[in-house]
Amino acid sequence: MSRSIPQSESRNYVPLYLILFPTFLLLAIFCLIPFIWAFVTSFYEYEVGAPAHFVGLSNYSTYLFHDHTLGESLGNMAFLTLFAVVVTVIVPLTIAKLIFSLSSPRASYVYRILFLIPILVPSVAVQLIWKDFIYSGTGLLNQFLNILHLSNLTRGWLSSPHTVLTSIAFIGFPFANGIQILIYYAGLTSISDSVHEAAFLDGATGVRKFLTIDVPLVLSQIKLLVILTLIGGIQSFESLFILTRGGPGFKSTVPGLWMYFNAFSFQKMGYACSIGVLLFLLILVLTVINLKFFRSSEDVTAASI
Amino acid sequence: MKHVILLFIVGVSIWALLPPRGGSSEVISSSVATREQGGVKYVIRVDPGPLYLPGLVPENAKAPVQGFRVVADAFEKLYPDTRIEFLGCPEGTREWLVTQLSSAQAPDIIQVNARDAWQDVRKHWYIPLDGYLDEPNPFVAKGEPGSIRWWDQFKYPVHTQSTRAPDGRIYNVSLDMIETGIYYNKTIFARYHLSPPKDWVEFLGIMRMLKAAGIPSPMLVEKRDFTDWGCDIIFDQMYGNMRPLMDLNYDPRRGEDLNGYLDWDEVTLLHRHGFFTPRDDRWRETFRILREWREFMPQDMAGTDFFKGFVTQQGAMLWASSLTLPRLVNDPHLGFEWGMFYLPSIPSSYSRFADGHPMSAVGGAANQYHVTNSSLSDTPAEMPFEQRMEKSERLKRTIAFLQFMCMPKNCNTVVNEITAFIPNIKGVDSRPELAPFDEFLTRHYSMTKWFFTFDLQFDEVLERMFDLYMNDGISLDSFLDWMQDNIDSASATMTRQHHPDFAPLEKTWESHAGMRKNYTDLPAEAR
Repeated sequence: MSRSIPQSESRNYVPLYLILFPTFLLLAIFCLIPFIWAFVTSFYEYEVGAPAHFVGLSNYSTYLFHDHTLGESLGNMAFLTLFAVVVTVIVPLTIAKLIFSLSSPRASYVYRILFLIPILVPSVAVQLIWKDFIYSGTGLLNQFLNILHLSNLTRGWLSSPHTVLTSIAFIGFPFANGIQILIYYAGLTSISDSVHEAAFLDGATGVRKFLTIDVPLVLSQIKLLVILTLIGGIQSFESLFILTRGGPGFKSTVPGLWMYFNAFSFQKMGYACSIGVLLFLLILVLTVINLKFFRSSEDVTAASI
Repeated sequence: MKHVILLFIVGVSIWALLPPRGGSSEVISSSVATREQGGVKYVIRVDPGPLYLPGLVPENAKAPVQGFRVVADAFEKLYPDTRIEFLGCPEGTREWLVTQLSSAQAPDIIQVNARDAWQDVRKHWYIPLDGYLDEPNPFVAKGEPGSIRWWDQFKYPVHTQSTRAPDGRIYNVSLDMIETGIYYNKTIFARYHLSPPKDWVEFLGIMRMLKAAGIPSPMLVEKRDFTDWGCDIIFDQMYGNMRPLMDLNYDPRRGEDLNGYLDWDEVTLLHRHGFFTPRDDRWRETFRILREWREFMPQDMAGTDFFKGFVTQQGAMLWASSLTLPRLVNDPHLGFEWGMFYLPSIPSSYSRFADGHPMSAVGGAANQYHVTNSSLSDTPAEMPFEQRMEKSERLKRTIAFLQFMCMPKNCNTVVNEITAFIPNIKGVDSRPELAPFDEFLTRHYSMTKWFFTFDLQFDEVLERMFDLYMNDGISLDSFLDWMQDNIDSASATMTRQHHPDFAPLEKTWESHAGMRKNYTDLPAEAR
């Protein structure tokens, strides 16, 4: 039942609104207004410095029905995003569970710190290390293959159309992302001891307990990370820009990268905005599906009560 | 207390949002630069390009370059109301360029590749220089080159002409030229009793022999350079003997040396008649040859440091520009002798379309100085562009600085301070180390520059599809189909933007009907 807030009490909230105001203002200036501007611009043929011409849905229809990059770039995006989602669900959760299972709190603390340290390295540096030291023609991977007398397998990992996408997907191997591990770890620690004891009494231990008790109870964390990974996978293109610029051909191009090229290299702002709006819609739909059809740990708990 | 802290945070947030005191007005005054500043009326900002920026120490050099500063000091003495400021700008960063130009904040003189400028000339972001080039250079003494027309000062006007924008106007001048050539490892060549090749067959033979002898990559060339220069030189070899037939628009301003150069509208019309399509056998042959050549290059074209490969003798030949020269000349640890040769011609015994004419030059204007819309900042922005050009005193002073730079003494001070470029001003000799490039530059110019023909999207897609084809990502047929789409799309965009009249070109095409009968290998639509 809702209650009305007395006037004297509501005055207490004024400072809080004042604190929120700059944040909202910045959000409006840098996110909301540009989004509205982008949406409007997507109906124009617009180049910076030249007059804009209203073209209706032409930018959308050109991208959806005539742009050669569409199919390939969507496929690339789907592959990289799904790979990232699978990896995000499996690897950090497994590591978090292993750390959680350690009997020594000191060892658990040390491992958490150790897995967190790599996040201090800027992601651009990580990309460049993989590009120049591992995947390059004279990089570690090819040298390793040479040592194993497998020279016939050496190649330009990022320049070969046959290996570029898989190579990009494997950047970051073994995928032990510190932040994701911490989120899962927090989820695991929030499971009450009584649940663990009940599981033990029911004979659920080891992998079985992990799959039937732990995983359902960290579904909220899984859901959060899946949404974040989906959004990141669809939006991000910086690493591809650094690594391959989307090449060879369009073998590692994603729609976000093509949007960037159209906006800043070809100056087709209206066209780029239409790609941006479509990506927004895609993210919106996937997020709604995720929220609507995937259960959270609260739903699981509520269902079991 | 809680409220005091929260309000303090709010206050700090608002303060952080405010612009720094006086900051914005400083920016405006330095960029507009027409305000009196201690007797200085004009502050002209110049981006001399990355290698000429005063104070910068070039790779392997001992002292910073100062040439531009020396010349600017002399100019300031001549015009005490003018100050020249130099600044470095991000190279190849189109985002930066567009934002600066759209707000008229770019340097007054900027070094930018002509094809980047072409995109924006219709927006009046750059000043056309034709009118000035046709007039005398006021700094040149009577009787000297340039005293009648500024144009006459340039040693290689043909190459400057090739940077003429699609609207037919010139927007840049160059003090220097750049050309490519093959740097080869004389020590390796001597070991295998090899000498520079006389024709393409010998060239391939040398690469085959070196590869068999264990040199992993006989031929080294940057991926982008291979696309850019490679397409042009092989194209010229395949179509060179059809130049009179294909040239549909003779431009007398360009002179005989550039006669036959194909502009985008000519390429478009020829394409409509079946040229540069999968049905065009010469087109197919061009890319077959390039693919065959690629076999002698490193497996990883994207991730290889080619210069390093050459100096560590992983490769025997490096196709690069004169920019590479200072690194080799000044390298104290180079463990081998090197020499230079130019790419040999393709004989008819190798390809039925070739006639053995010398391989064309593909270099040209090195630092291309464009005058930007910032130079018009002393005139109202709402005034028509032509009127602003006429009225602006600031523009006149900016042009005067460019003309002053073109004095032989000044060109020599700037260009010959480093060993990377060939002076483009008559009366200025090249440094001896650049002698091979002097010869390479005298060759006929490539029939077209595929990377400069259409817009930036065409270039981007061409580079990508070429890369894919060179790495076995697509077949030759698929590549040619894709190329046809790319030319179609770029032609449509350019036609929409520039509204050219194809009728005169079509008329010339019709008049060449008799000539076409002499060629049996034309695409069906062209016969």
